[in-house]
Amino acid sequence: MNNTVLDAHNLKRVYDENTIPVYALNGVHLHIVRGEFTAIKGPSGSGKTTLLNMIGGLDEPTEGYVNINGTNITQLKGNKLINFRLNNIGFVFQSFNLIPVLTAKENIEFIMLLQKRPKAEREQRVKELLKEVGLADKAGKKPGELSGGQQQRVAVARALAPKPQFILADEPTANLDSVSAGNLLDMMAKLNREENMTFIFSTHDQRVIDRARRVITLEDGKIVNDTAPASLDHTLI
Amino acid sequence: MLLKISWRNIWRNKKRSIIIIAAVMTGLSAGIFLVAFYNGMIEQRVNTAIQSEISHLQVHHPGFTNDYDINFSLKNGAAILKQVQADPVVKATTGRVIIKGMIASAAGSSGITINAVIPEQEGLVTRLPGKLVSGNYFGAGKNNELLISQKLLNKLKLKLSNKAILTFQDKEGNITSAAFRIIGIYKTINTPYDETNVFVKIQDIDSLAGLNNQFNEIAILLHSNKTLKATRLKLSTAFPGITIKPWTEISPEIGLTVSVSEQMVFIFMGIILLALAFGIINTMMMAVLERTREIGMLLALGMNKIKIFKMILMETVLLVIAGCPGGIAFAFTAIAITKRTGISFKKFEEVYASFGYSDIVYPSLDRRQFGLIMLLVILTAIISALFPAWRTLRLKPAASIRK
Ligand SMILES: Nc1ncnc2c1ncn2[C@@H]1O[C@H](COP(=O)(O)OP(=O)(O)OP(=O)(O)O)[C@@H](O)[C@H]1O
Ligand SMILES: [Mg+2]
Repeated sequence: MNNTVLDAHNLKRVYDENTIPVYALNGVHLHIVRGEFTAIKGPSGSGKTTLLNMIGGLDEPTEGYVNINGTNITQLKGNKLINFRLNNIGFVFQSFNLIPVLTAKENIEFIMLLQKRPKAEREQRVKELLKEVGLADKAGKKPGELSGGQQQRVAVARALAPKPQFILADEPTANLDSVSAGNLLDMMAKLNREENMTFIFSTHDQRVIDRARRVITLEDGKIVNDTAPASLDHTLI
Repeated sequence: MLLKISWRNIWRNKKRSIIIIAAVMTGLSAGIFLVAFYNGMIEQRVNTAIQSEISHLQVHHPGFTNDYDINFSLKNGAAILKQVQADPVVKATTGRVIIKGMIASAAGSSGITINAVIPEQEGLVTRLPGKLVSGNYFGAGKNNELLISQKLLNKLKLKLSNKAILTFQDKEGNITSAAFRIIGIYKTINTPYDETNVFVKIQDIDSLAGLNNQFNEIAILLHSNKTLKATRLKLSTAFPGITIKPWTEISPEIGLTVSVSEQMVFIFMGIILLALAFGIINTMMMAVLERTREIGMLLALGMNKIKIFKMILMETVLLVIAGCPGGIAFAFTAIAITKRTGISFKKFEEVYASFGYSDIVYPSLDRRQFGLIMLLVILTAIISALFPAWRTLRLKPAASIRK
């Protein structure tokens, strides 16, 4: 059985092509299988955000392609691409993740609503997820009434809600104190273990890097180190 | 959900939203009231014209209308008058002789229309006695009495109870003159009319012009405008060969006034709506720019552009709808109050009178106009929302999130 969820081939991303070209990504190959818990590290400006944007379909590569679970998303355009993201990729951003006018419960429900899932299913899943991220008692709170760590946990729950292929998190702990960061990581690791959810996250934080099972190091838009296990077949399924 | 988000988004920047809501309220109430005011003005003008000038229907010889030739009199005037008088839908009716002529004094002369009337019946149809500001109405017995306006009196440098010379053509085409005593000064709200019209008794003109008791005009005042068509039809069947004109045709300038006023209302409404549109565009543009990052996030999560477009559109329309009840309530209260009390323009009485308007206006609004205004306001809201909403379509998720 093929467990590949993501296959990125020779990704290049050039900014300011016509003036002084900046190679934010310069020939990145990336292969991710189901159940990975992967950190992308590297100095500021090394291309972490750019890489995550490419594999999440938020930005188009100048060269190369991204294949997710058999679909070449680089060829998808407009609403097709948006719908693909909706059904296949979970996002957690660094900050301002949540819709400020919606409660924690409504934020988690939001994507399932866009997917037109039936009400009963949504209610059930939201309940489950709130419990899983330890915020069952904060269901009715708006983001402004939650701490940074709680907000990020709601964001993870939301990303998880539609059962995506994988979850992308760009520096999810950057705005958190170390205790909250640790809690968030614990939670993500638990979801990874128990639900076999694939996580790909970028970070500067060594303590976060230490929790990852695979660490990819970027420098000047290139992968300079990858601790991928020799055989990935030991992952579940 | 979209509706919920839109509604809550409105209240994120309370101050800004309240400004727009207030603008909608002001614009809407001003617009509604303006239309009602114009309606009142027009209605009042039309009513005044019917009740005291032109009546509902006028009957003439087909050749009469243009040149007021004395020979175009109604052959069977008496019979027509008799039938009309017997009709219960008729409030009052009278026959007249209308001729063009001249009025002269030692100080000068002026071209005029001579209205030769049956005093009692004329009073019932056009309330002529009520228009006297000094002097007396036609009495019994005396001959050659004249009612005139103060303006014309001044022009001729005459006073009450002086005599003036009226000159006109008789039935044979000979010029006839006679001295008439000024017994009363009348005033209508229509100044131009006053300056060119005098009133005399029909029997005086009849004998001077040799008309043999014929009229060249019959005016009919109905109890209600609703019976106008039927009455007209009845008469034209009974007396073929006569012209029966409804008030809309007798006084095309009143019809014109109505349509000009309607255009004015549209221009004013246009200005109000334009101001509103600019306010809305401005506000929503700010709201959209402020939320670039958030909209980028929504795009990233998988909310498609049509939904985002709808969300912004809905926000705008909700904002406008939120302002509607207040605006409507305010306008309707103002209309309800002024409908009873009337709006007085005593200060501008002269100006109004020179256009044939009275100085008190009673605003009124009909359902169709109200619907139209609401439709225009909502349309304005939607159209002005299109631009800010369209801006969101150009956002790229990656770039927006970086902001
Ligand atoms: N919109 C843009 N226009 C021009 N250059 C850009 C743009 N976005 C990113 N870059 C450049 O691309 C390179 C990679 O940026 P990227 O944000 O991917 O780095 P990063 O590893 O995420 O950095 P950080 O750790 O600071 O978040 C940088 O040199 C950056 O200046
Ligand atoms: Mg970054």
